[in-house]
Amino acid sequence: MNPSDSDASRLESATADRRGERDLDDLLVHVARGDSDAFEAVYDRLVGPVYGVIRRVLRDPSQSEEVTQEVLLEVWRTATRFDPAVGGAATWVMTIAHRRAIDRVRSITASAGREQRTAEVHTPHDEVAEAVEASLDRERVRRCLDGLTEVQRESITLAYYGGYTYRQVADRLKVTLGAIKTRIRDGLIRMRDCLGVS
Amino acid sequence: MRLRLRHDLHSLAGAYALDALDRPAERDRFDRHLSRCPSCAAEVRGFREVATAMAFAVTAEAPAALRPQVLAAAARTRQLPPEVSSHRDHARPQRTRSTLPWIPWLSGAVALASIAVAVFFGLAQSHTQDELNQARAENQALNVVLSAPRVQVLSQVATSGGTAIVVLAAERHALAVVTTGLPALPSGKVYQLWLIGTKKTESAGLLPPAQDGQTPAVLATGVVKGDTLGLTVEPAPGSAQPTTKPIVALPLPV
Repeated sequence: MNPSDSDASRLESATADRRGERDLDDLLVHVARGDSDAFEAVYDRLVGPVYGVIRRVLRDPSQSEEVTQEVLLEVWRTATRFDPAVGGAATWVMTIAHRRAIDRVRSITASAGREQRTAEVHTPHDEVAEAVEASLDRERVRRCLDGLTEVQRESITLAYYGGYTYRQVADRLKVTLGAIKTRIRDGLIRMRDCLGVS
Repeated sequence: MRLRLRHDLHSLAGAYALDALDRPAERDRFDRHLSRCPSCAAEVRGFREVATAMAFAVTAEAPAALRPQVLAAAARTRQLPPEVSSHRDHARPQRTRSTLPWIPWLSGAVALASIAVAVFFGLAQSHTQDELNQARAENQALNVVLSAPRVQVLSQVATSGGTAIVVLAAERHALAVVTTGLPALPSGKVYQLWLIGTKKTESAGLLPPAQDGQTPAVLATGVVKGDTLGLTVEPAPGSAQPTTKPIVALPLPV
């Protein structure tokens, strides 16, 4: 193992330990067997980031609560489909959470137009700074976002926290579609390296 | 042209991982692309981990009332059955062949429980590799039930003759069913299991063909309070809802 490998794996395992991910994988495997105690533990561990990210995307507290409930129930219902070999439990759950929040946003904007939501969007960079709970994750993510170009940072935060499609991001930032796709991808590659994700 | 198209698709990996594609059709198209492009799938996985860190970065305190609501809803909600692939693992399972010569000397509940346990542990004979693989997959699924700290063994004589034996792991909301001595069915008919709840009835799968009068164990998950296990004869390949009177209706003490 060369030094950079070991650095990367140390970083990764530090990340995993802090979130208790190894444990979490195991818990989710137990949830898949119908273990309700394990589900309670998963709930306690993940409801904060699940609610946090849904709230960030949807903004409306009661809708966020509703979607959070849907997501956690889906975690219970589909835990049998979680495969630890493909990715960690936290990522599996957050992927469900974000996708559900986005589905809700798209259905709202499809019916009500997007003006209301557009008016509510602040500078994305500040949103991270405003995060309710101070956490190492917050600091780390903020530091890594700071390392991006402005367009990379804005396009990633508008897409992930703002719930915008890359086409809408392109419109807002007055950049071509092709450029936005590339900025998002390049930005995520830099984030990935900065966060020490394998 | 084709290369350009692929390059174009690949550049969408970031937007895809952030759920920022424009239309569901675009998402589906990228999904298909992912299944053929392992390097794209790996890239998306890495990006999703970035997204996960971004979610943790905005952790917020959820309303306290949510917890009991979610837990109660989960207790009422059936889980999807595990996806068991018999092709995933071709390792030869460790099995002991036995025809259970001691069964005749046991009687009543003890015999039923013994048959159940013996069949669950795969002591019933299988000869071909396919059967062995199939049995192994079933055994993996059955560990869900058998590794539970407490199980109950229940049985009921079917109105058609034969017996259904159920090992219930109430805490795991799961059970395993074997049958012995059910009448053979004419072609075009199958035995189907049901979880008959207070509000709705859901299929719990078909009984596999019997071997020497016993059907291999079937796992059912998502058992909730008030469920009754039912067994009916249905036209192949099974029905969405029962179409005949159950020959077994066993209330489950969950």
